[in-house]
Amino acid sequence: MLPVFKAQLKKDIRSPWTVILMIVGSMLLTFIFADTDQQSKIDVPIFSSESNKEEVEEKWELLLNNNQGYSFVVTDEKEARAEVEEGDSEAALQLFDNDYQVIAAADSRAVQLLEDYVHTVFTQEAQLRAAAGSENVEATRNEVDVYLENAPLQMQIESIEGGEVPEHNMILQLLFGITLFLSMFTIGFKVNGVTSDKVSGVWDRMILSPTSKTGMYTGHLFYSFFIGFTQIFIVLVLFHYVLDYDLGYHFGMILTVAAVFAISMVSVSMLITGFVKTPEQFNMIYTSVIPIIPIISGVYMPPGLISNPILLFVADLFPLAHAMEALMDIALFDAGWSEITLPLVLMLLIGVISMGVGVNLVERRKD
Amino acid sequence: MIEINKLTKSFKGKKVVEDVDIYMDEGESIGLLGPNGAGKSTTISMISSLLKPTSGDVKLNGKSTIKNPAEIRRILGVVPQEIALYEELSAHENLKFFGEIYGVKRNVLEQRIQNVLDMVGLKKRQKELVKTFSGGMKRRVNIAAALLHNPEILILDEPTVGIDPQSRSHILETVKKLNRENGTTVLYTSHYMEEVEQLCERVYIMDHGRVVAAGSKEELLSILSSEDTIQINLSDTNDEVVEKIKSIKNIRRVDETKNGIRIISKKGSNILSDLVHAVESEGIHLTNFQMETPSLEDVFLHLTGRTLRD
Repeated sequence: MLPVFKAQLKKDIRSPWTVILMIVGSMLLTFIFADTDQQSKIDVPIFSSESNKEEVEEKWELLLNNNQGYSFVVTDEKEARAEVEEGDSEAALQLFDNDYQVIAAADSRAVQLLEDYVHTVFTQEAQLRAAAGSENVEATRNEVDVYLENAPLQMQIESIEGGEVPEHNMILQLLFGITLFLSMFTIGFKVNGVTSDKVSGVWDRMILSPTSKTGMYTGHLFYSFFIGFTQIFIVLVLFHYVLDYDLGYHFGMILTVAAVFAISMVSVSMLITGFVKTPEQFNMIYTSVIPIIPIISGVYMPPGLISNPILLFVADLFPLAHAMEALMDIALFDAGWSEITLPLVLMLLIGVISMGVGVNLVERRKD
Repeated sequence: MIEINKLTKSFKGKKVVEDVDIYMDEGESIGLLGPNGAGKSTTISMISSLLKPTSGDVKLNGKSTIKNPAEIRRILGVVPQEIALYEELSAHENLKFFGEIYGVKRNVLEQRIQNVLDMVGLKKRQKELVKTFSGGMKRRVNIAAALLHNPEILILDEPTVGIDPQSRSHILETVKKLNRENGTTVLYTSHYMEEVEQLCERVYIMDHGRVVAAGSKEELLSILSSEDTIQINLSDTNDEVVEKIKSIKNIRRVDETKNGIRIISKKGSNILSDLVHAVESEGIHLTNFQMETPSLEDVFLHLTGRTLRD
C-alpha cells in the first residue's frame, strides 16, 4: 500500500496544479458567491417631479429603506427612466406627496413584489396620517413606536434549546458547499488513477508483484481520501483562522464530517470507476454528474427551496446533502455528536455500498 | 522448467488462443513469432498468470500455476508491450516504486536500480522524467523495471515496437546478455523475424491463435529444404507473365513482392531457361535473378500463406 501511496504523492508533488487550482477555486468561488449574496439588495431608483421634490424624496427614501430586500436610491428622473428602459433596473418609483407610480418595462414577479412592499409602506403612512388627524404626524409616529415596544401582546421566537434562533448564514453554506463540491473533483480525479494504471499496464505489473490487490486498492483510495481531505482542511483552516469566518465552536467536528464525506466520495468515485473502461470515460461521466449534485442538494439555495420529493430522494443518494446538513448544524446550531450521527451514518452507508459495488464491478471486468 | 499444455483462451465464444503447447528449459531463449493478432500477447498473459486460460495448464517445475500463481510470479519478470510506467516520475523514481512493490529490500534496492539502469544504458539520465524520454528510452526503462527483482524467467512482449535502431540494438544486446551471462530464461515475442533469429535458440511460430511450427531455427528452415527461393526482377510485369511463370513445371509458388517476384520451386530443378522463355514470350526482359537463402519469414510464408507484417 505504502509504495502506491508514495508514488501518487510524488506525482502530485511534481505537478501540484490540480490540487492548488481546486484550493484557490474553492476560495475564489466562495468570495464571488458570498459577495453576490451580500449585494443581493435590489437597487430601486426613486425620483419625484413635484415642486417640493427634495422634501418628498427625502421623506419617502427614509420610510421605504426600512427593509432588508430593497435599496431605494434617489436618482435623477431621466436617469431612472433610462435605467428601466435599458434593463439596468427592474423598476423605478415616481413619488408624489401621498402617492406613487411604479415605472417598469414589464410586469414581472419582481415588480409585483416591489409594488406589494411599496403599497404596504404607503398604506401604513396613510393610516398614521389618518390617526394623527390634525396633530403632528411625527409625534404620533413616536407614540406608536413607544406603544409597540411595550405592546400588551408580544411574540418572542426562541430556538428549541431556549436560546436565540440563529439566522441562516448563506455565506457559510456557500463556503461549505463550494469547498466540498471542488473536493469531489479532486477525489474523483485521484480515484481515476486506478483506471489509468489499468490502461497503462502499471496495474498488471503490480498484480505480478507480491503486493496484494487489497494493498493496491488501499494505496490508491487512501491517497485519494488524503488529498481530498487535505484540500478541504486547508480551505476551512484558511477561512476560519486566517480570514476570520465564524465556523462555530466545534472545528474538530467540522473536520470529522469533512473526513467522513471524503471517505464517502472516494467510494462514490470508485462506483463510477466500475462503469467505465478508460480514464477519459471517467472524466467525461464524472465531470457531467458531479456539478448536478450540489444543485439538487440545494447547496446554492436557501434551505427549503427544493421541495420536489424525487429531487430530494436523488440528493439523499449522494453524500453532499448529508455532509451539508451536518456541517450547517454544527456551525449554526452548535449541534452535538448525537445530532450529526444520522448524517454521518448515512454517509458511511453510502460509502460502504458504493465501494462494495464499485470494486466488484472493476474486478469483474475482463477487458 | 515451464511446460504449457493445450492452452486455450476464448473471448465471447471466439477462440483467440487454441491448444498451444510450449516448453521452456532453464536458461533457454525462446522466441514466439507471429504477426499482430496471432495470439502471442494473450498466450504470455496466461503464462504469466495475468489471464486465466479457458482450458489447458501452465506448469512450473511440474506444478500447475493456474490455481497457485504465487510461485511463478516470484521468479517472473514481465516486460509488457505497452509502456507501463508513471510518465510523471523520473526513471529512478519509477524503478524505486517497482522495486518497492516487488518487495526488494531497502538496503539493496538502490544498488539494484543502478545495476539495471547501467544494463539498459540510462544511468546518466536516471533523474529525468520518463515523459521527456524518447520511445526507445521509455522501452529501456520498461525493461529495467522488470529486472529489479532478479527474475529467473523474463518474458518480453514485443519490446522493440516503434523505436529507433540504436535503442533496438541496445535492447537486443541487453536481452542477449541477460540470457547468456546471467542465465535468465527468456521468452521473447515479436513479429520481427530477424530479432527472433538473432536472440532465440528455439522458435514457436503462431498464427490465428495456434502454434503452426516449432523447433530450432535449423529445424524450422529445414521445412523449406525441399525448395529453392528465387527472387527475380522484370523490365515490366503483368498478370499474363505471372500466370506463365506459375505454369512452369516444378514451380510451387509465385508471389509478387515490392522487390519483384518471389518464386518457390522444387529444390535443384533447373527452371532458368523456362523462366527466361516465359518472360520473353510476353516481350518482357529478365533484369535480375537471385537465389535466396530461406529465412524464418519464408517459413512463415510457406506455412500461412502470408507475411509476418500482414
